[in-house]
Amino acid sequence: MTKAAASSRGDAQISARGFQRYEGERAGVAGSIRSVMWQSMRATLGLGRPAKNKIFPVIAVAIAYVPAIVFIGLAVLIPSGIVDGPSYPEYYGFVTSAIALFAALVAPEVLVSDRRNGMLAMYLSTPLHRGTYLVAKMLAVLLTLGLVTLGPPFLVLLGYTFDGSGPDGFGNWLIVLFRIILSGAAVSAALTAISMAASSITDRRAFASIGVVLLILASPIVAGSLVDGAQLSPNWRLIDVFSMPFELVFRIFGEPGNFPEVSTLAVIAVNAAWTFGGLTVVVWRYSRLVIAR
Amino acid sequence: MKAIIETSGLVMQFPNTRALDGLDIRIPPGVTGLVGANGAGKTTLISLTLGLLKPTSGSIKVLGLDPNVHGPALRAQIGYGPERNVLPDDLRAYDFVRHLAEVKGLPRDEARTRASDSLYLVGLGEERFRSLGTMSTGQRQRVKLAQAIAADPRFIVLDEPTDGLDPVQRDEMLNIIVQVNRDFGIDVMLSSHVLEEVERVCDHVVALDQGRLVAHGAMSELAGASGGVELELVDVDEPPHSVDAVVQLLQASGTTVERSGAVLSVTGKSDDELFDAVGAAVAQAGARLRRLGQRRRTLDDIFTDQDRQMTDAQ
Repeated sequence: MTKAAASSRGDAQISARGFQRYEGERAGVAGSIRSVMWQSMRATLGLGRPAKNKIFPVIAVAIAYVPAIVFIGLAVLIPSGIVDGPSYPEYYGFVTSAIALFAALVAPEVLVSDRRNGMLAMYLSTPLHRGTYLVAKMLAVLLTLGLVTLGPPFLVLLGYTFDGSGPDGFGNWLIVLFRIILSGAAVSAALTAISMAASSITDRRAFASIGVVLLILASPIVAGSLVDGAQLSPNWRLIDVFSMPFELVFRIFGEPGNFPEVSTLAVIAVNAAWTFGGLTVVVWRYSRLVIAR
Repeated sequence: MKAIIETSGLVMQFPNTRALDGLDIRIPPGVTGLVGANGAGKTTLISLTLGLLKPTSGSIKVLGLDPNVHGPALRAQIGYGPERNVLPDDLRAYDFVRHLAEVKGLPRDEARTRASDSLYLVGLGEERFRSLGTMSTGQRQRVKLAQAIAADPRFIVLDEPTDGLDPVQRDEMLNIIVQVNRDFGIDVMLSSHVLEEVERVCDHVVALDQGRLVAHGAMSELAGASGGVELELVDVDEPPHSVDAVVQLLQASGTTVERSGAVLSVTGKSDDELFDAVGAAVAQAGARLRRLGQRRRTLDDIFTDQDRQMTDAQ
């Protein structure tokens, strides 16, 4: 052993500061919201949890991204013009199952768990109150859903850009990017509100998930039955909770969509109604909640 | 000395219950015990302190602030350990404490360090990476205390912190709570229905009964030596009725005797005279003495006196 190594070992100290008072800065309510939002996203995606908690998130993300990755791969490998890919709104048709899976799983995990495992009472004893707590949770659901509503169409844009069949010029490229962001945000917002509303009504995660799935599956069937079967006004399509956000995506891109007989104004209005209505249910339920201590 | 909590005419009315009825208290710094039976109003007072309920009437100030106006700012300075033992089973103790420290405003790196420090302080340093679901009741109670102090609050509120603990664990928990106050200057209010532990560790006490204030003040004034002598005799076969004989002899000597089985409370003279009278009576009766000392007023006496006053009033 060299002299230097011996002296460094002799100078080494174990420093355990122990519990001390803290005089530094504190983040305030914004930091509290950020921390709760991030922790909720981590929990939903299974980060920092056992492997079994990662299964559904991985499956959902895979379903959402694999088609987009395939398109990019084809665009890179195959000469331009040969691959006739879907339009941006049409791409959502490939990933509705992933979006539905996330919508059914994320909000129940984010909201119901806290009511059952005592964390809601803990959070409300911090600088958060019910309103700011719900803001944090809403952001968590919104951003988690954004993983599957924003990311894949953006990859498709990149794929078309590499393929040479993307928007002409940087200005148009930015316009398409803006439409993708707006579309993803609209779909995420509507599904966030609906799934949070379902999750605020029941204390069972499974029931909340089933409720969301039923809404997603049943509302298109009911709407279709009323319009195509009973020959009622096409505006009855507006009760189709799951299809209307995607119909809005078509209108954002200036395309007629799957239900051209329904006016764009009506599509915008019903999406706003589902979004604000869902959030209203959440706020009303949580304002009446008795927090057990 | 600035009060930690001040209330004036505080009333909390629920649809079917008047949980607090005109409470006027002033809690100074230190360790304060909030005592009362189930339903006395302890948890309601705690909820009002945290700004989680709005009083029906009256006022409350915590650290000089109105909890309903300055709730978020106040709760950033208060640590809270709930009564419920329901915690997220799949979360590690360290992650639980760290996360709540962050939510209370600590920067991420500081929250990480302080989570470990506070878990070490409560004796869970080596178990801090275990899931909460694998921990015993005693360990979960310590985790609740750790998360209450991790963000370095000015004041912590602990709701039944020794609930579910065996006597040894209770002592350990109470020692930690006292250490938090004495060594780090964090004021504490703990609620309990176990009067002995409050007498043991608290500097001040607020006693509630069905929403009404029974007593509040320094423990040394409310409980402690209250004049008189208390003795416990051993009821033996030989000589027979020795306890009765001691009672009669003491009463004959001009003292007042209250009897509860073999325990006698003797008053009516100065303590020195009482000790002499007791010694003489025990010797004359040939009784066996197990314990002899100054009579102490306990918190139980306070509630008993209150019940007696209410009965007399009716």
